[in-house]
Amino acid sequence: MSNEVPIISVTDLGVRFKRNRSSRRSFKDLFAGGARRTRPGEFWALRNVSFDVAPGEAIGVVGRNGQGKSTLLKLVAGVLLPDEGKVSVHGGVAPLIELTGGFVGDLTVRDNVWLTAGLHGLSKREIAEQFDEIIGFAEAEAVVDTPFKHLSSGMKVRVAFAVVSQLDEPVLIVDEVLAVGDKAFRAKCYRRIDELLAEGKTLFLVSHNERDLRRFCTRGLYLDKGALALDADIDTVLERYSKEHPA
Amino acid sequence: MLRSTGERGKIDTVKASEHHHGGNRGSAWSSLWLLTKRDLKVRYSTSVLGYLWSVLDPLLMSVIYWFVFTQVFDRSVGEQPYIVFLLAALLPWMWINGSLTDATRAFLRDVRLVRSVALPRWIWVGRIVASKGIEFLLSIPVLVLFAVFSGARVSWELVLFPLGIVLLATLTLGLSLIIAPLVVYFRDLERAVKLILRVLFYASPIIYGAADLPEFAQPLAWLNPLSGIFGLFRAGFFPSQLDWGLVAAAAAISLLALALGQWVFRRSIGGVLKEI
Repeated sequence: MSNEVPIISVTDLGVRFKRNRSSRRSFKDLFAGGARRTRPGEFWALRNVSFDVAPGEAIGVVGRNGQGKSTLLKLVAGVLLPDEGKVSVHGGVAPLIELTGGFVGDLTVRDNVWLTAGLHGLSKREIAEQFDEIIGFAEAEAVVDTPFKHLSSGMKVRVAFAVVSQLDEPVLIVDEVLAVGDKAFRAKCYRRIDELLAEGKTLFLVSHNERDLRRFCTRGLYLDKGALALDADIDTVLERYSKEHPA
Repeated sequence: MLRSTGERGKIDTVKASEHHHGGNRGSAWSSLWLLTKRDLKVRYSTSVLGYLWSVLDPLLMSVIYWFVFTQVFDRSVGEQPYIVFLLAALLPWMWINGSLTDATRAFLRDVRLVRSVALPRWIWVGRIVASKGIEFLLSIPVLVLFAVFSGARVSWELVLFPLGIVLLATLTLGLSLIIAPLVVYFRDLERAVKLILRVLFYASPIIYGAADLPEFAQPLAWLNPLSGIFGLFRAGFFPSQLDWGLVAAAAAISLLALALGQWVFRRSIGGVLKEI
């Protein structure tokens, strides 16, 4: 790890969830934002997690299902708020989470690309400049004016990936989306991520695929029971992970 | 690979010269505008009549009330021309009514969008108030048309119309900020809001004027900020509907609603994001 100023800085991060969706809610619950005690029926999805990320690092987050991986990514992406501690990200984030989330079925691909790129902070000029490139990347030239809901599910994800991966944000967050599309498109996605890494972007990747993790990441974070069990280079992390959880 | 590295390099230089990297989240306002346009676009792209719907609803209501209260009953409330009197309050009522109804689904309707884009959170509510507000502005020509053809007299108080818009926007945003997060916790609230709105329709000076309320119900006019606000909208055609006391009360309540709304929203948003 370099001694540059960290681009992501996570300190004593904690977030808790209800164990049971139907557990009694009250107005008191609603406003008890910062209280530190754990109420019955709640658990900490993440707690006491701290780490810094230097610009250009590629980080793989490892852990079994339900150990807080996606929660951590959402906190870094700013779509979830912590109950404890702090996440600070210096710069924008391109989140490849819930990829097609921002897309509206009734609008055309063209409208959707403009909308999503705009929501992620691109100016009109930038979108105009990159529009053809985005469509080209998704190989969606033929369906530009088709309502989004009429696309095949594979094509939907391709368009979404093309937009978000084009954002030019310094931090790229990827949550298990690499498994989408056909083989050729997946290869293209991999190349795109390689390119982004070569440009010096910071990558945050959640995956169960060891090959992906080894291919892109240099450093690993191993989450277990909501705590950061190990923060080391990716090979060490994967080794420990597979030792504790043999297939 | 469709993209050559040469192209890529060019695009990057353009960006660097614009200083447009790092925290390049567009301003909150541009996101608000984008989402508002999106709401309107979706509404208009999925229906043939599009814009007409936002006008037809209040128009039909007005015609019904006009018929009932001027042809069937002898109208003892409101002023002449009654259709203008009605529309001047009914159109803004559609704004607040539509906003509060939609606010109950502010987070639920676009769950996946809320979960994947980190925008300043109030925008999820603000865009509803904004898109309904734009529909309201687009429906003003209807009022103008009826005012012209029914020969309504216009007085200087018409300049108060924008003040009505500002107060109503404040009140609507405030209430929406309270409703939107609470509904995520208490789904029952969605239906409760609809019920309350129906009561509020008759409890507000829409088919009548604030001064038409009987003596014992006058406190209602003071507690209901819509009395003062609708008075402002009507003042341009019916100066006697303007009551500065009610306007002051409305302004105070609206600001209070906005302050409370901000507080509720700030305190509850963390939990809301977990729930959805």
